[in-house]
Amino acid sequence: MLGFLLVVLLIPYLIAAYALLFVKLRWGLRLFGAFIVATIGLLTAMFFVEAYPIIARDGVAVFLQTGWDPVRESYGVLQALTGTVLTSAVAMALAMPMALGVAVTINEILPTRWRGVFGSLVDLTATMPTVIYGLWGLFVLGPTLQSLVNTLARDTMTSPYTLFTAGVLLAIMITPYAAAVIREGYALVPKPVEEAIYAVGATRFEAALIKLRYVKNYILGGFFLALGRAMGETVAVAMVVGGNFVRFTTNIFESGITISSLIALQFPNAASYQYMVPALFAGALLLTLFGLAINAVAIYIIQRGQI
Amino acid sequence: MTAERKAGDITAVRRVINWLGLGLFALLGVAAVVPLFLIIGDVYIKGIDAINRLGGLWHFLTGLPPTPYEESGGIGPMLVGTLYMTVLGALLGIAVGFPLGVYIGEMRREKFSNVARAGVNVLVEFPTIVIGLFVYAVMSLAKEDLNLYLLDPLSRTISPVGGWITQFIGPLDGFNAYAGAAALSIIMIPYVALITASAYSSIEQPLREAAYATGGREFNALFVVLRKAVSRAVITAALLGTAKIAGETAPLLFTAFGNFYYGPFTGPTAAVPLWVWYAAQTPYEVQIASAYGAAAVLLTIILTIFIIARIRG
Amino acid sequence: MAPQMFTWSKTFYQVTGGKIQVNYQSIGSGAGAAQFLEKKLDFGASDVPMPRDKYEQIAGRFVQFPVVIGSIVMAYNVPEIAYQKTGKYLNLTAEVISLIYMGEIKQWCDARIKALNPGLADKLPCKDIVAVHRSDGSGTTAAFTLYLTRAYQPWNQTVGWSYTVDWPADKKAKGTGAKGNEGVAQAVLQTPYSIGYIEFAYWAKNKDKYDQVGGVAFVRNDNDGKYYFPTVENVATGAAAGLERYTRKYGTKPAPEADWNPVSIEFSNPPQGYPIMSFTYVFLWKDYAAEGYGDAATKAALLKEFFKWVLTDGQKQENVVEGYIPLPSEVAKIGLEALNLVKP
Repeated sequence: MLGFLLVVLLIPYLIAAYALLFVKLRWGLRLFGAFIVATIGLLTAMFFVEAYPIIARDGVAVFLQTGWDPVRESYGVLQALTGTVLTSAVAMALAMPMALGVAVTINEILPTRWRGVFGSLVDLTATMPTVIYGLWGLFVLGPTLQSLVNTLARDTMTSPYTLFTAGVLLAIMITPYAAAVIREGYALVPKPVEEAIYAVGATRFEAALIKLRYVKNYILGGFFLALGRAMGETVAVAMVVGGNFVRFTTNIFESGITISSLIALQFPNAASYQYMVPALFAGALLLTLFGLAINAVAIYIIQRGQI
Repeated sequence: MTAERKAGDITAVRRVINWLGLGLFALLGVAAVVPLFLIIGDVYIKGIDAINRLGGLWHFLTGLPPTPYEESGGIGPMLVGTLYMTVLGALLGIAVGFPLGVYIGEMRREKFSNVARAGVNVLVEFPTIVIGLFVYAVMSLAKEDLNLYLLDPLSRTISPVGGWITQFIGPLDGFNAYAGAAALSIIMIPYVALITASAYSSIEQPLREAAYATGGREFNALFVVLRKAVSRAVITAALLGTAKIAGETAPLLFTAFGNFYYGPFTGPTAAVPLWVWYAAQTPYEVQIASAYGAAAVLLTIILTIFIIARIRG
Repeated sequence: MAPQMFTWSKTFYQVTGGKIQVNYQSIGSGAGAAQFLEKKLDFGASDVPMPRDKYEQIAGRFVQFPVVIGSIVMAYNVPEIAYQKTGKYLNLTAEVISLIYMGEIKQWCDARIKALNPGLADKLPCKDIVAVHRSDGSGTTAAFTLYLTRAYQPWNQTVGWSYTVDWPADKKAKGTGAKGNEGVAQAVLQTPYSIGYIEFAYWAKNKDKYDQVGGVAFVRNDNDGKYYFPTVENVATGAAAGLERYTRKYGTKPAPEADWNPVSIEFSNPPQGYPIMSFTYVFLWKDYAAEGYGDAATKAALLKEFFKWVLTDGQKQENVVEGYIPLPSEVAKIGLEALNLVKP
């Protein structure tokens, strides 16, 4: 009944909110604000409720165990968490330098005519469907990386689809997000500051470094935005990460799994088991809480910079 | 004399560092964009070849997908499903996202507005699969009652209109297009909201005061007088958001589920990204080819929307 | 079973002039059973019957019946002994396969593999075996692990069988997962020194590709000691032998409302024939309206029409995809009986 009410009351709520806009504008707007807060509240609540059975049974062990054994109904998401952390780390290590490069290239290096085009190209990279990234990763990037890595160090990558592959693909996908925030900050460097930098005789490279230090809050903000994105990406990662969710590994050149792709792979058959659905929702809950924490930090940092 | 020579040395070193440093930045910047060309090139080269092999463009856009044992096929149902769910999702996304954006952009002094803004920031890059799970859970809870109390009676009352109406309105299956559209709209709402908010908050104070002064009621001031100032950003947000959700796969996995046929929207619905996700991972040549063809079509749709947005904005 | 279901669906669509669409998505048998139980799907298909605990929950409300017989092959990628190169395929036994997936046999040059393959022993390289398994819930995994459970006791004690299992090879050796039969088939093709279990049909369609990088294994049937190559005849022999063993043990043919787990246990590792095979089962509710489905009457009628066709015309040779075996007619009759139990 609850779900039914939820869905049925939604339409009248939105209509009321809209109507209110014309009568008492501010209250109408507040209703929309309430909508989004309610959605997030519902989301988190639902995850708690769904994950409860396994947390009640195992406590926090589900977050600390590895191994996925449906036969014995024993589940742990630690290997997925590790996978998420490792792929995100690789992605961030590659993406941040590129994002800085993009910001400096647009603002310092390119002639004005080209800035718009280049900026649009970077934005386009952000709008591309993730499944197309996955497709390219599956058939082009994976095998290429495998040959590359294996030429440098024989037999390191036994499969083209590893945590490393996923990390590199993620880096390409999240760079525009970090770049957008850094560009925004870079453009906000006040004119007097810029003039002062050149007045003391800095080269363009030195000026770029100074400006980047000036907007370091934005760089941190971009970092956290991209990190949140990297941790949550599902489809592209699922296609190239290798799908090995039993072995706990910290070797990025091996196949692995992330929380998002674990959910994507195991959820369809989860209802056949007693504790698998709660275990997957526990993973989703973990991801949600991580995301909330990261976003909170990011917002705090950007806002502190804005004062 | 000594001072000049010293200054000259330092300048030379600094000049070299300048070139190297800028060169490094330029390299990194280009590196960020090169994969885009590689991907677009790869998808179009293999995709166009695939479309030709699988029966030509028209057949590809309207025909049914190939089984592993056929020679030709298409993505007709997928295209229709994507169009339907994207349009619905975008409409809802704009309808809720725009006022929400106005709220968090204009009424920044309220505490609740900041809470809402934090909420929007959290939601904007939430793992999309989790949003799909959320809609799946709500759908599971609501479906039976929804069908029993609302949709069965409704579809009986409107059935005189004609058989075709059952394609759109009727009792819902566990997987259906509306669940898919709902998940897509939840993804689009924060995106539109953020861009709207930033458009409204970047209006300079004098302009805002003028709008309030001449606009009379607040509603007029915000939406009528200021519309020129913000319309560009908002339309761009709407277009880019639509492009974004057209390409989403994860939220549709447990909501729309996928279909090989043209079916009613009250049942499992196909989508182009879902087909790419599925077909690319099969070992059958014909299906992998159709995945590339589908990717090429999807890319074309997104590029078109993107270019329109860039030209307008 | 996806290629067969997909083909049946398309053929039936054409036969009915485009009037009836049966949308089948390949999401793995575990998912098929699960989503059927959640009432999200109108029917479920699986390579193993409804699990015992779920069966007990819904006994009497649903029917299950086989629609086709499928089998599982062991495909491998070892370039040094590729069929194209040597003209030979590997011999394997349940014990060796189990030990590989338990991570006990770690390299291709292991003495136990050599012992079974004297002709290829000197060519087997000392490379790590990459044991590929499913990363999603799968009836193929279930049928495969059921076979290992029945054929090799230590497997039964350590791992067991299910849609998804905890593969020791992942921890002790180089095991890895891939999504769908499709994924495993591709993974074996692309990963040197790998081995994987895939449905017959996926291998059959790409036989040449596998022969280039390795091949598929002869599997020994421990009950009669012979090595069998995966062919339609050998699988049919196995199927008939397994069915006969069940009938002798229980005295009757299985009924559509019964628990079919005992059937699959007797069917697995049959007295003769190629030993790794399974029925593909379909699950239907007996009363769709009572189960809360919208538009129940139409749905039930369409399902009955589709499966009646599947069990009759669908079993004819031209409609059965390469790699699948049509049902013996007594078994198809069980399905037709089952359809009569579905209302209306």
